[in-house]
Amino acid sequence: MKLIECDNVCLSYDNTVVTENLSFCVNKGDFLCVVGENGSGKSTLVKAILGLKSVTSGKIKFENEVKRKNIGYLPQQNDSQKDFPASVYEVVISGCLSSKKGLFFSREQKNLADSNMKKLDILDLKNRSFRDLSGGQQQRVLLARALCSTEKLLLLDEPVTGLDINVTSDFYSIIEKLNKEYRVTIIMVSHDLLYAASHATHILHMKKNGSLFLTAKEYLESDIFRSFKGGKKDD
Amino acid sequence: MTDIFSFIFSQTFLIRALVVGVLISLCCALLGVSLVLKRFSMIGDGLSHVGFGALSVACMANIAPLYFSLPVVIIAAFFLLRLNENGKIKGDAAIALLSTGALAFGVMVMSVSGGMNVDVYNYMFGSILTMTDGDVALSIVLSIAVIIIFVLFYNEIFAVTFDENFAKATGTKTNIYNTLIAVLTAVTIVIGMRIIGTLLISSLIIFPTVISMRISKSYKSVVVLSAVLSVIGFLTGLVVSVRFETPAGASVVCVNIVLLIIFTVAGKILSSKAGSFVSRFKIPLTVSVFVLFFAAFVLLIGTGDPIEKKNDKPSIVTTNFASYDLTKEVTAEKAEITMLLRPGEESHTFEPSPADIQKIINCDIFVYTGGESDSWVEKMLSSVDASKITFLKMMDITGAELETITEGMAAQEQEEYDEHVWTSPLNAIKISKAICEAVCKKDRINKDFYNTNLDNFINQIQLLDKNFKQLESESKGRPFVIGDRFPLKYLFDEYNFEYYAAFPGCSAETEADPVTLSFLINKVKDEKIPVVFKTDNSTGNAANMIGKATGAKVMTLYSCQSVTLDDFENGETYLSLMEKNYTNLKAALS
Repeated sequence: MKLIECDNVCLSYDNTVVTENLSFCVNKGDFLCVVGENGSGKSTLVKAILGLKSVTSGKIKFENEVKRKNIGYLPQQNDSQKDFPASVYEVVISGCLSSKKGLFFSREQKNLADSNMKKLDILDLKNRSFRDLSGGQQQRVLLARALCSTEKLLLLDEPVTGLDINVTSDFYSIIEKLNKEYRVTIIMVSHDLLYAASHATHILHMKKNGSLFLTAKEYLESDIFRSFKGGKKDD
Repeated sequence: MTDIFSFIFSQTFLIRALVVGVLISLCCALLGVSLVLKRFSMIGDGLSHVGFGALSVACMANIAPLYFSLPVVIIAAFFLLRLNENGKIKGDAAIALLSTGALAFGVMVMSVSGGMNVDVYNYMFGSILTMTDGDVALSIVLSIAVIIIFVLFYNEIFAVTFDENFAKATGTKTNIYNTLIAVLTAVTIVIGMRIIGTLLISSLIIFPTVISMRISKSYKSVVVLSAVLSVIGFLTGLVVSVRFETPAGASVVCVNIVLLIIFTVAGKILSSKAGSFVSRFKIPLTVSVFVLFFAAFVLLIGTGDPIEKKNDKPSIVTTNFASYDLTKEVTAEKAEITMLLRPGEESHTFEPSPADIQKIINCDIFVYTGGESDSWVEKMLSSVDASKITFLKMMDITGAELETITEGMAAQEQEEYDEHVWTSPLNAIKISKAICEAVCKKDRINKDFYNTNLDNFINQIQLLDKNFKQLESESKGRPFVIGDRFPLKYLFDEYNFEYYAAFPGCSAETEADPVTLSFLINKVKDEKIPVVFKTDNSTGNAANMIGKATGAKVMTLYSCQSVTLDDFENGETYLSLMEKNYTNLKAALS
């Protein structure tokens, strides 16, 4: 079942074309990793999917009742959040905002927030202050918030940047659990080529022109993966 | 309960200030949380400068400042957001551009329209006195609206503040809420300007939030705590202001600084190990302990008695030095005389403190000029019970004339009545007669004493008058040059002295423009004038410049409006200063 279809899209940033001829699609249950060098347009693509930025040409289509606002988004952290006095609960429930009717959050929404915190094993942090948490805990909180805005599709923008190895692997296992157990479709922007190739179902390798969209299996055998892998001395 | 509190609640104008101030404090605290967390702290500052610019335009065009500033500041708020979003000019630079631009524009407008007037000054430092009923009503309505809107959109405002991109991605119309925050901020700034002053209003936005962030763990507690602290800070500031006769706005800010220090220390202690044993209750505990201490402190300063006990002597309040000294000549030590304008204070920007108002309300006779420098009097009278007071308005006693604009003078746009009526010795006689009459009515027993004093004084003035008349014939065709404000119009007109001056008497400006300067310099050179005058209470910059350019000697003329502390302590009087004027004028003719 198709959720997102991206058809011959061209993206620009400050009037400079970042990427052209970009086509791919995301089906229900997919785990798509978006990789590529800095400046290849990964973040711009994320913004375009979220509607924060318009495409220069081409089309990004949402199908099967997926709407833009149903995407659970895990943004790169910004500096101001580092000292923002908000409790974990307040951050998580703010993910329910798009489905809020009336002035206040409903009981179901509060329950949803609780169950998502439970899912990510952070229910005990509920009343802690967001800024006092460790980097890994903060990412889980933001992930719980993203889950509050969707059950279907998560879009993660470089979620493990700045996390240490143990925390990173914990975080990855949560994502896999969500993908496999809860059948959440995942699009993840990542620098981690090896992880992407071994865990994702599909890979979008972005380049200025001629981005590659492959299944993980195809990608493992592709020249581009080999050249990247070969280029890494420690592998 | 205590003197200060019963005093505050007995005065309509202070109750108004209290109500409006509390509401504005609430608005500021609520919005402040968003602004501080979004790194927009300086927006408040920028907007208040825009408010200042709008104000000067409103004052020039004679529009009610509040109604004019409101739309202008809202538009500026929109504009700031746009600049921010376009990203071409970064936030702090955009704010700096707009705020300094507006400030410069305001200063330009003011200089064209004739110097800073009292209204603008009131707005800069805040005035709890001069709010009209309309101002009060508008402030109350707007601030209640701000509070309601904030509560209604609380969740949205949180989402937009915490993570704008996420909120936008999940379908929240972040533009609308950003605009909402900006508009609410603009409204709050404009109504807050009146009471706290343009220069200080942004502190009301920033302080409570920063203070509560020291100990709060959640957004909700920051919002609630900063609202509570903001109101506490305002009330304490007001009590301090009444108790120590300090300006309300600055007092509130100083209280906030103290709060910040207390909470920073508290936050440090609580986050250390020593504080963790109270972990569960620590915030409510700290806050309630704090509130208790603070209440005790407020009570402590509140129990002081701000007003001296009345005695049997007739009490007379005077505004400036001339009225003070003329009163003293008549009553000597038999009356209690208060001079509101303390020695060394600038008369044109004087603002009475709540304690001053209290003195006026309790006095028997109030002597004031009735000109621009005490335009607050009429506003004050509308909000207090003044039926038992005899008012002596000097400009009514002597009659007043419009300021004369002489050739080369840096003229003002609006013509004003010159308020320095006492500078003519003959007017001084009229005023002291009126004072004598009023005080005799209040204190019949000492009637003869007062009349004798009056006669003595009139004799001395007549001597002075004779001297000036002599100068009159000597000065024919020989103009005096005053490189300064010219508050001595009545003196010069009385004796037909010719003169050229840089500014009219009430101009707050003392920096001459090049055209005026060169006109006066040429005058001094052409007519070989040996002395150029400055007036007391000015820097004398222009006069010194003319002196330097021409070699003329710089001497001082005294307006007797206010005196320096030294002169006051040396016992200078109206008569002694007028005699100095005579000597100096005579020197200019020799």
